[in-house]
Amino acid sequence: MNESTNKVLPGLPGSAAKMRPDVSPTVSATASPATSLRSPAAVSLASRLLMVSVLLLLLIAPFVLPQALVNAAIQMLIAALFATAFNVLAGQGGMLSFGHAAYFGIGAFATLHAMNALGGAGLLPTPLLPIFGALGGCLLGLVAGWFSTQRSGVYFSMITLALAELLHALAPHLTSVFGGEAGVSSMRMPAWGLSFGEPMHVYYLTLAWVLASLGALFFFTRTPLGRLTLGLRENAMRLKFLGYDVHAARVMVFMISASFAGVAGGLLAMNNEAGNYVLFDVRLSSEVVLNAYIGGTGVFFGPALGAAVMTFFGYAVSDLTRSWLLYQGLIFVVVMMFMPNGLSGVVLWWQRSQRSSAVLARYAAGWSLGALACAAAVVFSVELLQRVLGSDYQSQLVDAQPWPAITLFGRDWLPGAVSTWLLPLLLLVAGGLILNRVTRAWDALNEEEAA
Amino acid sequence: MSAVNSIHPVSTSPAALTLRNVSKSFGEAHIIRGVDLELQRGERHAFIGPNGAGKSTLFHLISGNFKPSAGEILLGELPIGGLSPERINRMGLARSFQITNIFPRLSVFENLRLGVMQRFGMQYTLWRPISQYRKVTALAEQLLEQVRLVRHRDTLGGELSYSEQRSLEIGMTLASDPKVLLLDEPMAGMSREETDYTAELLRELSVGRSLMIVEHDMDVVFSLCDRISVLVYGQVVATGTPEEIRNNAQVQEAYLGKEVAA
Amino acid sequence: MEFFTVSLINGTIYGLLLFMVSAGLTLIFGMMGVLNFAHTSFYMVGAYLAYTLQTFIGFWPAVIIAPLIVGLLGVVVERWFLRRVHRYGHAHELLLTFGLSFIIAEIIKLFFGNYPVNYQVPASLSFAAFRLFGTDYPFYRLMMGLVSLLMFGLIYLLLSRTRIGIVVRSAIYRPAMAETLGHNVPLVFMGVFGVGAALAGLAGAIAGAFYTTNPNMALELGVLVFVVVVIGGLGSLEGAMLSSILIGLISSFAVGVDVSLADALDYVGAGQWARDLGGLMTLKVSSLAATIPFALMLLVLLVRPSGLMGEKE
Repeated sequence: MNESTNKVLPGLPGSAAKMRPDVSPTVSATASPATSLRSPAAVSLASRLLMVSVLLLLLIAPFVLPQALVNAAIQMLIAALFATAFNVLAGQGGMLSFGHAAYFGIGAFATLHAMNALGGAGLLPTPLLPIFGALGGCLLGLVAGWFSTQRSGVYFSMITLALAELLHALAPHLTSVFGGEAGVSSMRMPAWGLSFGEPMHVYYLTLAWVLASLGALFFFTRTPLGRLTLGLRENAMRLKFLGYDVHAARVMVFMISASFAGVAGGLLAMNNEAGNYVLFDVRLSSEVVLNAYIGGTGVFFGPALGAAVMTFFGYAVSDLTRSWLLYQGLIFVVVMMFMPNGLSGVVLWWQRSQRSSAVLARYAAGWSLGALACAAAVVFSVELLQRVLGSDYQSQLVDAQPWPAITLFGRDWLPGAVSTWLLPLLLLVAGGLILNRVTRAWDALNEEEAA
Repeated sequence: MSAVNSIHPVSTSPAALTLRNVSKSFGEAHIIRGVDLELQRGERHAFIGPNGAGKSTLFHLISGNFKPSAGEILLGELPIGGLSPERINRMGLARSFQITNIFPRLSVFENLRLGVMQRFGMQYTLWRPISQYRKVTALAEQLLEQVRLVRHRDTLGGELSYSEQRSLEIGMTLASDPKVLLLDEPMAGMSREETDYTAELLRELSVGRSLMIVEHDMDVVFSLCDRISVLVYGQVVATGTPEEIRNNAQVQEAYLGKEVAA
Repeated sequence: MEFFTVSLINGTIYGLLLFMVSAGLTLIFGMMGVLNFAHTSFYMVGAYLAYTLQTFIGFWPAVIIAPLIVGLLGVVVERWFLRRVHRYGHAHELLLTFGLSFIIAEIIKLFFGNYPVNYQVPASLSFAAFRLFGTDYPFYRLMMGLVSLLMFGLIYLLLSRTRIGIVVRSAIYRPAMAETLGHNVPLVFMGVFGVGAALAGLAGAIAGAFYTTNPNMALELGVLVFVVVVIGGLGSLEGAMLSSILIGLISSFAVGVDVSLADALDYVGAGQWARDLGGLMTLKVSSLAATIPFALMLLVLLVRPSGLMGEKE
């Protein structure tokens, strides 16, 4: 039996979601046949191999990777779980939540309090404590979900935002629960023969919980409620006329999403052994939205992919540049505009296209080259600007004297010289031309086929 | 309003659906103005009338989308006026929509399965995969066959042709195994062959059920239905067998009058 | 009495300022169905632009030119960004504006640093309008309110009395129909977007000098402006005015109210019990001043989502 999974409508660069003339205007369709020249068997094998290798890498990470990377991996895992939990509500249920940090944060605090309970011994052995994150998220999710799902669309999003902001504003005042400025701190207690003082223990704890949670969430998509969630997204109104209590279903989906967000928060709390009200900040809510949509919300592992990639980039790049957040925003906007189904959408596009891999690779290479050129131009300009406008540089400036050189990427550049700025300009133009050319060729290719 | 004209013998069992003096107004606009109707058990009853007469509004009233401003609606012996759509559906009434109302990015099979799933009260189950519910799968497969969409089992709903979507629409309406079916222009946009097949399908599937259908295709209406009601400006101006309606002077006026005005 | 009067005036003026920013937002939502997250970024850009320009061309020219540039920015955003993702649905458009607001904030930080800039009221305008209860009331503050009222009047007249206004209104309510009648609806969209942005930019240019000008001002104002727009009714200009004043007044008054729930319960003798309970009971209204708009918005969203003056959903 061929089980239908979350289907995705790949957004091909330069092409709109085509409307077939005989399709009702209320339903849009893209031409995306289920057959492809890459046989389903081969694709399925490839994805299984990929999953297994990722799993293996994750399992041996502390033994082959430096500590800093292991720490990064922990953050990536937590972010991946948070994004996947978010996606249950947003991508699968069609309810875009702008305040998901609330459930993440509550989970963190619930776990911290559970860790501190009974004089510091903890309500449960250390490895089981994230369950309190789930509980916290679940309860808050029940209340918040019950209110916010009374409305849909942008009103729903606004309610979730308002609720999170309310919590964020109240939290600093409720010092007994949230600990004020300093927050709440705790310590991991030894359990089951392990000290949990070592980073490796924390890593495997996080890994175990994240894998188990992702597994549970994947299983959820196969259950009746999981299928119903998709129906909520596609046509909640019709569900009513099929006999479903739509509000109740929405609340349940909200609770599940919030529970697993709470687990992620709990894992963070256990990792950091501390947490304060900053966890409720809109920054965290925005980040999970960014991660999920960059990864692609139409596919189960999309958000996890997006979260892993963005967290990793954050780790790797934030030491190299102070403009990391700007790049993050730029990446997001670029993805939203040119890869509306996210990174995973690109992967699916590749899998589903009827063209040979060679042809696709050519176009992909073309687009990548163009994109790289533009990216190089942008990075160069931003980095140069950032240094020129920085206070240290500005203080070096003396009137009527030429501006001193700046060292960037191993070379000296004179910000006053036209040639310095000509480089990114040329790169940008070149990149733009390449992208334009490749896109036109692709459109032409598609039109040939359609004709 | 006058009592219903009927050639059928007076039925001893309660009517499948009863409307008593049902009215609906939106502010100053009186869309439905006192409709009396009885849908007998097992009957196939058509609604015809000029555009804007209120046929879709009537369906909205019966299926729970709108609350009646006045009057009673009974499903069997139970009042349903003003109840929520999901309650009414669970009490045994299902409707289809004039504008196709499916799940566009789910497969045809999934569309039907969602309709079937509700019957078994398992919508909140999250501990067993749905594939283990063989009855659900079997029923969904059966519906797939009945609406002739087997070859499109895995096609996304939104990628079907228009008339295939109409068939899916009918399939979904049947999925909840209703006692009373309301079909809003089910055959709009279908070819002759498709219409004939669908009419035959409806004839089969309405055995043991009661059917109320809004249609403009007069051939279908006259061949398929036991009785016809004519709705003009929110009122039933005539009810009777196809023959009676064909010869009814008021009905002729309603239609001819419209032509003259146009 | 002093507290009351001062809060009243301050609150009204703050509300008028909120209106200048939310007017554009509510019209854009009514027209395009998109809640533009980047709208308050326009406010911020207006402030920073005015600050930068004024050192070269003086305060008044800066305050006039900055909004024009912001208006242009709005047009660019609509034409080259929003229009591209229009076909992917409202959620996508929302997310795009969200990303844009991110980028704008970061670019501002790039150019001006992650701390407030010294944008001040020019000396020529920092005098007292009158004396109130022994303290000077700044003229500049009154001026802000006046500018906002002027803008409201102008727009209202424009929309209700001119031919352009009729076209815009029809494009807002029935875009397809307006297009069928031959009006260039995309141009109208661009225009409304640009004017809305320019208004926000003007608000920023003027208010930035009085309040602080820092890279977080978009965020701080942002959520408040959404609250205003939702409470007033998405798409309703009058609603935006009403709820702006309401929120402005509430914010102003609440900040000075040092009363907590426990204090209120004193009247029924349950004060001590409440204080022993602690937590929410002992929170003063002044501390919670920031949360009241949210609570209001929640209430409105649940009870009457179309807002005070919006159309039914």
